Amino acid sequence: MKEKEARHIVTLIENTPFAGLSDEDLSTIRLHTAECTSCRSAFEAAYISSMMLKERAAESFEPSPFFQTRVLATLREQQAADSWSLGKLWRSTGALASSMVATVALLMVLTFAIPASQESTSAVSAFSPEAVLMNDGADDLVSDSEVLSTLYGAEEEVVK
Amino acid sequence: MELARAAHSGDESAFAEIMRRYSPRVFRYASRFFRQRNLVEDAAQEVFLKAFTELGSFEGRGSMEGWLTRITTNTCLNMLRGSKRRPELTASDLTEDESTWLDDQMGHLAAERHRSTERSIVAADLAGRVLGTLPPDDQLVLTMMDGEDASVKEVAKLTGWSESKVKVQAFRARRRMRAAVEKLLGRKRTKD
Repeated sequence: MKEKEARHIVTLIENTPFAGLSDEDLSTIRLHTAECTSCRSAFEAAYISSMMLKERAAESFEPSPFFQTRVLATLREQQAADSWSLGKLWRSTGALASSMVATVALLMVLTFAIPASQESTSAVSAFSPEAVLMNDGADDLVSDSEVLSTLYGAEEEVVK
Repeated sequence: MELARAAHSGDESAFAEIMRRYSPRVFRYASRFFRQRNLVEDAAQEVFLKAFTELGSFEGRGSMEGWLTRITTNTCLNMLRGSKRRPELTASDLTEDESTWLDDQMGHLAAERHRSTERSIVAADLAGRVLGTLPPDDQLVLTMMDGEDASVKEVAKLTGWSESKVKVQAFRARRRMRAAVEKLLGRKRTKD
């Protein structure tokens, strides 16, 4: 017991809440603090801390009469904001979807309609000046007499 | 559980009933963390808004009160963590009332204390100011264990900490609180 009393009591007061100290603990503390100045000031501080905390814990606020109304209003605002952002998301998703549909439609037009027009273009371009000059199969389609009449027919008519 | 289910399905009156029943408890509990009414009210509002969105996760295993108290603990701790800690309190920061209260406590250490409402308010104010200089976890553990005599088990259940963590936290918190008060008393003695 004497050995216990001789030990500093700081650990004892830090291990247990002040109100939880037993009578034995308190008498040990009293004996020790009578001689040990540093432990006495630690004990005073622990005691005062405990008193302050007790007073602090005894205080509390009650809800104001408008509390429920305030929370419900905030809740409604939040829900409205959530549905608005959901709507915004839906609208932007819709815009994205329609632009994707438009892109697909354009690609389909390019895939199926353009080759057909290219074919007709190539049919017309068989008689283009470049094709004629390069003799790109045009001779097979137009006979010599047709060419001669085309070239000189007009001239002969002028001479006549 | 019926109320929780109804509120979760969007029944506003059921949610209002939950608030009516449990808001005094939530306010009392949030008052442990904050000394300004507006902060307590903000915390309580946050608690009920969170509770509304998480009602689906409330399975009714424990009590609604316990569930809300846990949400309150987390909300208040987060609010405290988000706010700046006050700088160290010195004797020159004390009001005249606080200084007198400390003198009285030192004088009445062994004797019967005189208790009055005014003195209690001064003590609670001072406690709030000293606690404000400590980390949020210290504030929680000190208010609960040393202020309200909560057991290690109760604090562990509310915070989700292990019991050994609660013990260590309490030990360190008491040391820090004691050091802050001791410093205050020491400087006060020097000042006097």
